[in-house]
Amino acid sequence: MKPISVIALISVLILGGLFIYVAEDIPAFGDPNSAPNRYVKLFSIDADEEIVGNLNQGVIPPGLMDKIEETGLPLPTKVEKARGLEGEWVEGEWEAFIIPEEKYYALPTTQFGTAPDAPKEQRYYLIKKEGDTLDVYRYAPIIRYMEEGEHETEVPNMVTYILADYRGYDTLGETTVIFTAGVSVILLLRRRGKMPK
Amino acid sequence: MRGEKRIYERDVIIETISRLLIPFIQLFALYVIIHGAGGPGGGFQGGVIFASSFVLYLVVFGLAAAGKRFPEGANTALMSTGVYLYAGVGLLCILVTLGAAEYLNYGYIPLTHMFEENRALGMDLVEIGIGITVMAVITEIFFNLVWKKEEEGGKEE
Repeated sequence: MKPISVIALISVLILGGLFIYVAEDIPAFGDPNSAPNRYVKLFSIDADEEIVGNLNQGVIPPGLMDKIEETGLPLPTKVEKARGLEGEWVEGEWEAFIIPEEKYYALPTTQFGTAPDAPKEQRYYLIKKEGDTLDVYRYAPIIRYMEEGEHETEVPNMVTYILADYRGYDTLGETTVIFTAGVSVILLLRRRGKMPK
Repeated sequence: MRGEKRIYERDVIIETISRLLIPFIQLFALYVIIHGAGGPGGGFQGGVIFASSFVLYLVVFGLAAAGKRFPEGANTALMSTGVYLYAGVGLLCILVTLGAAEYLNYGYIPLTHMFEENRALGMDLVEIGIGITVMAVITEIFFNLVWKKEEEGGKEE
């Protein structure tokens, strides 16, 4: 056995192991409620009765506010009980909303003098009670795309607006890869003059 | 066109049917590209469908006739045109915003007075660019492979 084939075998095994290791964490396709698709965990705090009572009344507890401020994420302005899949209130889960301050919303006048829609509250944090602790999650960007994309881009096809707008750089790279394939075919095959006429 | 080399022998049925079908394949490809925003489809898929019509033409009518319909110079030019269109839409955003770092943020292109509508139209432009590139590249690969095979086959005879 040549040393290069041993190296190739080892690297294939390493890549295969890495793929299996990564694939373990990939959620089932199309399950919108699996954890990596839905939200990212930020931190957890102790669940006092006071904090839970505050959350139930729609008041953001000061302790929670300080913790969120430490992470550098936008501060919530409103909190309410989470809704389940059929619109019912869920006990022990709360959703916190923010008012986004993006550049997109900060464009008040164009040359036509019309302003975009007023900023809208956006679901941002999910607070979950697990035993004696409160876990604070942030909704993943993909959830934001799914919920806000149609309103922001006026395109009903989710695949298209994620592919061409939110992931525009990525698609530009893909197009360049295809272009490179064409250029290599020209370089490798079209070498002997012109095509027959 | 007697004495011309083809992959298959000449067949009236195949020629007639493909002559009828090719315009509709191309129309469907344009439909898929333009309606990529509203339904399933997009630049990649539409470009491949468009290329498949040229592939069908080449298989049926031979390389010389296909080379007349879609010359290699145009092919090469279109290949880069799509990428330039895509990147140009991105650069247009920078130009319109007078140098702000808004590359590929289609909303700032003043096509309509709505930010969101601009994004939808910019996406359509970008899909057209993708479609042109994919169409040219797939056609290019197939034409060159066939050409190479015919050249080598000619040597053996």
